[in-house]
Amino acid sequence: MDPKQFNTQILTLSDKLFRLAKSILRDAEAAQDAVQELSMKLWEKRNKLDEVENVSAFTMRAMRNLCLDTLRQRRDEDELVPEMEFVEPNPHQQTEQKDLAARVRKMIDELPELQRTIIRMRDVEEMELSEIAYVTSLTENAVSVNLSRARQKIREKIIYEQKRVEETIWKR
Amino acid sequence: MEKMNELLKKYFNGETTLTEELELKSYFLSGDINAEHELYRPLFETFEEEKCETAFEPLKKVATKQTKIKHIWIKTVSYSGMAAAIVLALWIQRPQQSENYAIIHGQRIDDPEYVQRYAEKKINDMNERIQNGLKPLKNMEAVKENIRDAREKGTLKNEITESDKTGNINN
Repeated sequence: MDPKQFNTQILTLSDKLFRLAKSILRDAEAAQDAVQELSMKLWEKRNKLDEVENVSAFTMRAMRNLCLDTLRQRRDEDELVPEMEFVEPNPHQQTEQKDLAARVRKMIDELPELQRTIIRMRDVEEMELSEIAYVTSLTENAVSVNLSRARQKIREKIIYEQKRVEETIWKR
Repeated sequence: MEKMNELLKKYFNGETTLTEELELKSYFLSGDINAEHELYRPLFETFEEEKCETAFEPLKKVATKQTKIKHIWIKTVSYSGMAAAIVLALWIQRPQQSENYAIIHGQRIDDPEYVQRYAEKKINDMNERIQNGLKPLKNMEAVKENIRDAREKGTLKNEITESDKTGNINN
């Protein structure tokens, strides 16, 4: 892959790669560093990229693997337990999360890494199940199951929060 | 309404196709939503917002070797130019005081009159020394003149002796 091809095929994915890295790492700066690191690694191995059938999916997969390595390195510090239950926000947090979109974003961020990666690849990046299966090294069926779990959890959280809001209104 | 309920059910079960999901998104972003579905509107709005999120520092394009060399040349010329400009600026702005001064006995003297008087005095002293030094040479000149006279007399005497012998003065 020559520099021109590299610029058009890899660097144009930078926003998509950034969103994926940010979703996994839950940190914009760390995500930016990860994207830079990946682009350097890919540039060093650009000759091998000619053999790749789907460059976009391959790059996304490399991005996820790099982010997972980063998470493993700091697992003890801040990564949530994969099956962690939704923690009810305290009144202070509720005030901070007035913005509905921000609340939903937080709900997604609280999902286990695999589920939040899959739901965003599907609902934000609009990727085919086969592509997501390649990026996550899962079968398409496993992707569907995780996607369904992720969406169900978000739905439960939304309904739970809605009930709380209604209860608060009735108490007034 | 029924269709949307059905689509939402499929969506949360992870069974919708991309086309069906696009239909759901356009419904929730249309602003014309059934009150029953209002609950899920923020979810689809969030996906739309996140789609627009960009890297705050886009990746820099890879330069070819040729352009790299070109950049090095441009940098070299730029830095040289800047260095020359700085030197020129310093030279132009150097203090005027430093233009006229002299070092006398290891000390800097900025008073031009003092320096001139000092220089004149030194030149006069030097002249005097030279004149005194030449006095013995004047005596030497007198001695040389006497010797020259004596030689001339001696030569004439010899010439007369020779002409007596040959009878021809001019030969």
